[in-house]
Amino acid sequence: MTEKKTVYICRCEEVTEDEIRKAIADGARTVKGVKNRTDATMGLCQGRTCRRIIEKMLSEVTGIEKLNPGIRHPVRTLNIGELVRGCNGDE
Amino acid sequence: MAMSRIKEIVVIGGGVIGASIAYQLAKRGRSVALVERGDLAFGASGACDQDIILQSKNPGLHLQLALESANIYETLEPELQQPIEYKKTGGMIIIETPEEMEVMRGFVKGQRETGLMVEILDREEAGKLQRGLAGHIVGATYSPQDAHVNPIKLTLAFAAAAVKRGTELLLHTEVTGIKQKGGIVKGVKTTSGHIDCEIIINATGAWAPFVGHMIGLEIPIWPRRGQIVVTEEVPPYVMGDILSARYIVAKYNPDMIKDCEDPGIKMGVGLSLSQTKKGNIFIGATREFVGYNSHVTREGLKEILKYTTRLMPGLKDINMIRSFAGLRPYTPDGLPIIGPVKGLEGFFIAAGHEGDGIALSPVTGRIVADLITEGKAFMDVSALTIERFKKQ
Repeated sequence: MTEKKTVYICRCEEVTEDEIRKAIADGARTVKGVKNRTDATMGLCQGRTCRRIIEKMLSEVTGIEKLNPGIRHPVRTLNIGELVRGCNGDE
Repeated sequence: MAMSRIKEIVVIGGGVIGASIAYQLAKRGRSVALVERGDLAFGASGACDQDIILQSKNPGLHLQLALESANIYETLEPELQQPIEYKKTGGMIIIETPEEMEVMRGFVKGQRETGLMVEILDREEAGKLQRGLAGHIVGATYSPQDAHVNPIKLTLAFAAAAVKRGTELLLHTEVTGIKQKGGIVKGVKTTSGHIDCEIIINATGAWAPFVGHMIGLEIPIWPRRGQIVVTEEVPPYVMGDILSARYIVAKYNPDMIKDCEDPGIKMGVGLSLSQTKKGNIFIGATREFVGYNSHVTREGLKEILKYTTRLMPGLKDINMIRSFAGLRPYTPDGLPIIGPVKGLEGFFIAAGHEGDGIALSPVTGRIVADLITEGKAFMDVSALTIERFKKQ
């Protein structure tokens, strides 16, 4: 028997294809469901790499193939100091 | 394909409260279905921070519940046999003004009488516990009993432990109606078929009123939005759980901030800060009444960060990577509704924990399981039934 190669889907949080398949088998039907079970999409890139792949894997079960809008702020990482500049009487 | 089932008990709501109750009942050998219209931890349980804060609880019954829950937490991880990232970290409430210090002195006195280990620290002592406090901070309270837990892992662990003991988990299944006869519960109708049962537990948090309406019951719970910011992973910076006294003052002495024009105060912004095992810092939160809108807002995030960086300016150097909001189930007196309902035999409520659901989930599960299997709980919780809101 040949050894199965580990495939990482979420590189930030090091979540494998097998872990995502298990999450779907455990009842996940949305990216959030997969995220809650595996931490996929929770790293620094916030799913920019893996989200599409996970959606594709989910669509094999749900039959729903669509891009999900509604990504929350911020779309890219943002320095907190930038966001509050001018508040609290500072520069 | 719709089918019908027969169970003794149906728990509605796959959040931390419903999952905890299902686990406690399954542990006692009861036949349970846990029904969730979305997925586990899809409401407030999956949109909150990680704090188990005893210090924020009102002296008396509220704090007693939290202390009993803390006892259960001590051995919960080995009991559930799944990682929940529970850790007793200690926590502090930072105090900005002499007026707040006065309120906190009284609050701490009452908490000590209820049995919490908590003390007042002066500015210097507070600075030793947490670096980077702003110059104007006058002191803090400290309790070694505050802790962290991963709320999503906790919910999943409760549910998995319940399933292992025979609970049937019905995800993506919405309850559409309740069957009753002469004020006695007979079953529920769901999108996955009927379930005949003798007992229904409404553990649907901010959505509890909708389930109440299915049986003609008004439940005084309203959604209160809490927005939270998440930062990138950074080396250890936050000592444990950090709140600000403004949170406590706003909660229990609303008159002190009643006429304030500050937009942050109007949105109920109070500090709630903690750092995850991986290094992300949670920065919260707002407390807003905006119906069932669970979106984050630019204004909300800005007010949270404005307030937080005023107390801890060093956070400005860190990047935020994410934000989210959850709907906390608010009740008018700040206490959850737990217990049976007069005139509706077999119908129980366990909801309305507002921001205390994670902290109080272990004890809520035990209380509800006690009420169902023993007829009374291990502690006196008669003051928590919905009857307290009935007009005289």
